[in-house]
Amino acid sequence: MKMIKKCLVSLSLLAFLMPMASVILADSHKKLTIALIPGVVDPFYFTMHRGAKHAADALGVNLLFQVPKQWNVSVQVPILNAIIAKKPDAILIAPTDKIQLIAPLQAAVEQGILVITVDTFIDDGMYQDGSGRGDFPLSYIASDNVLGGRMAARALAKSLNNKGQVYVSNTIPGISTTDQREEGFRLEIKNYPGITLLKTQFNDDDANKAAAQLQAVVARNPGLSGVFGANLFSAIGAADGVKAIGKAGKIKVVAFDAPSRIVKDIKSGLIDLAIAQHPAEIGYYGVVTAYAALTGQSIPVHIGTGFTVMDASNIDDPDILKFIYSD
Amino acid sequence: MNISTFSESLHRGEWIRDIWSWLFLLVMVLFFEIWAQVSYSSSFVFNGFNVQSILIFATAPLLLGIGQSLVIISGGIDLSVGFVMGLSAVVLATVVQSFSGEAHGVALAIGILLTFLVCLIPGLINGLLVTKLKVPPFIGTLGMYGVARGSGFIIADGMTVPVDNDWLYKLGTEKILGIPIVVLIVIIVVIIFHFILSQTRFGQYTYAIGGNREAAIRSGINVDRHIIIIYVLSSFCAFLAGLVYTARFSAGAAQAGEPMLLDSIAAVFIGGASFYGGSGKIIGTVVGALVIAVIQFGLVFVDVDSFWQFLAVGLVIIVAVLIDQSKTHITGVANE
Repeated sequence: MKMIKKCLVSLSLLAFLMPMASVILADSHKKLTIALIPGVVDPFYFTMHRGAKHAADALGVNLLFQVPKQWNVSVQVPILNAIIAKKPDAILIAPTDKIQLIAPLQAAVEQGILVITVDTFIDDGMYQDGSGRGDFPLSYIASDNVLGGRMAARALAKSLNNKGQVYVSNTIPGISTTDQREEGFRLEIKNYPGITLLKTQFNDDDANKAAAQLQAVVARNPGLSGVFGANLFSAIGAADGVKAIGKAGKIKVVAFDAPSRIVKDIKSGLIDLAIAQHPAEIGYYGVVTAYAALTGQSIPVHIGTGFTVMDASNIDDPDILKFIYSD
Repeated sequence: MNISTFSESLHRGEWIRDIWSWLFLLVMVLFFEIWAQVSYSSSFVFNGFNVQSILIFATAPLLLGIGQSLVIISGGIDLSVGFVMGLSAVVLATVVQSFSGEAHGVALAIGILLTFLVCLIPGLINGLLVTKLKVPPFIGTLGMYGVARGSGFIIADGMTVPVDNDWLYKLGTEKILGIPIVVLIVIIVVIIFHFILSQTRFGQYTYAIGGNREAAIRSGINVDRHIIIIYVLSSFCAFLAGLVYTARFSAGAAQAGEPMLLDSIAAVFIGGASFYGGSGKIIGTVVGALVIAVIQFGLVFVDVDSFWQFLAVGLVIIVAVLIDQSKTHITGVANE
């Protein structure tokens, strides 16, 4: 009995002391502090964090980083509140919902913290223009996701010679980025009358679901010729679904976002085209913009970062490969 | 409990069993306070904003945990509470928004009433599955988990439903005497359920059924009806949790409660309930929810890497269950 109690105590102490040791030596309060709160565990955001760290080191800024384990308001808001309690000078956040994060971020502003949204936005994404309840963030830094959706539609239509059936594999409705990509895709695909757009499938940001849905869509529409994966997990899932039914190369897959496996997938022909965002730029410019605002410099209300289109023709080029997201 | 049995139990170390979860909470708070002072020269607990954030964060797992406590004490489990909470949020948001032409107070009242009625249904079904169809609670409520989830998504087409209602907004963000209204609601619910469980016959029967179901039946308790009521009460708590969520975020989302399910169960066990039913207290669940909130808030506050946090709550649950098991050995009696 005593043994068990001793083990219990030492086990719990160990679990708490290990991280404590690593943190306790960090210096924390002379420099400016900026917190980065992404949407979920995802190589896209880890790449963003690397860019942010790069800028933070260059500017001598203390960077906090806390990752929600699920894309869910109930998970992100408590983390946001705990970060607010630490009174950072600015918060860079990828809001998990356009509407529900307005009130919690307003609370941050009331505590004197600057707010900049990265990747996703709140309200209508157009800040400081006098309209909407979510007008208060200072800047929105992200890729132009509508354009990205259009680029995906063009690429898919071209690879199908303007004929065939396609659908969009999307994540969860209500997320600004993926909604915009789908919107761009729909708008552009209208320019290709030979292409039929089937109903969008929502996969809850789960690659397994995306794969299962692909197979279900093919079962219903054996003539399916292409799919657009609106984000990382959607694309991976759809590609895996295609492979599982042995149709690699026959069903074209256009992927948004570029995790490390995309290299192999493009070379093997499983994925035809990947539209990679530049998350490291988003992170870097997020920190730089916050720093500028904190030191009295006026900043742009919107910064649009670019895309790199990856396909079989350029996938071996090191200048292209550096845009692959990785942990 | 008279004097002699009290001192007997003191002797046997039973008192440790009753207050160990409080001790645990105290240790957690002290731990983070020391860490925060050493690393950041700022206080963790003597800070109004922190305390308020922790309390507000604890409201969801606690509300769900109160209903869960009743179910677990009676020997069952309810896996549907997370998505019933989401269903409640979505239905409330949808109904209130559709009455947006009326006065806000009226719209809210209708919304609350309709949502309340809708949320009775999962509880009823759970209760009937478990009692009349003899489905094990784990399986039955798991089925309802899926049904509630699907219903929530169908009603709102998968979207989150924004609400623009002044009364609801005030409910979610304002304070009375410095205490957020949502926290006051939870305190009232805690007091009511504590009373039910500890001072009424209904409460006694709940413990009896969980302790020994056969004996309860033989002593004339209408066990089936009692269990159905308990599952309905659990869904009622999920309804309240959904209401609080919609008030706080001005929107209803079907997946709102999903991360809260495991927290609600953890809160009940950290609070000292027995896995086999028959014991546990509402106040224990309150402490359990606070422990979870303190840990999750604290680890972000002292800037621990996110992945250690995922580990921490899981470890706490394991430790809690082990201590619960060892309690039996200390006192030499089964949990009462």
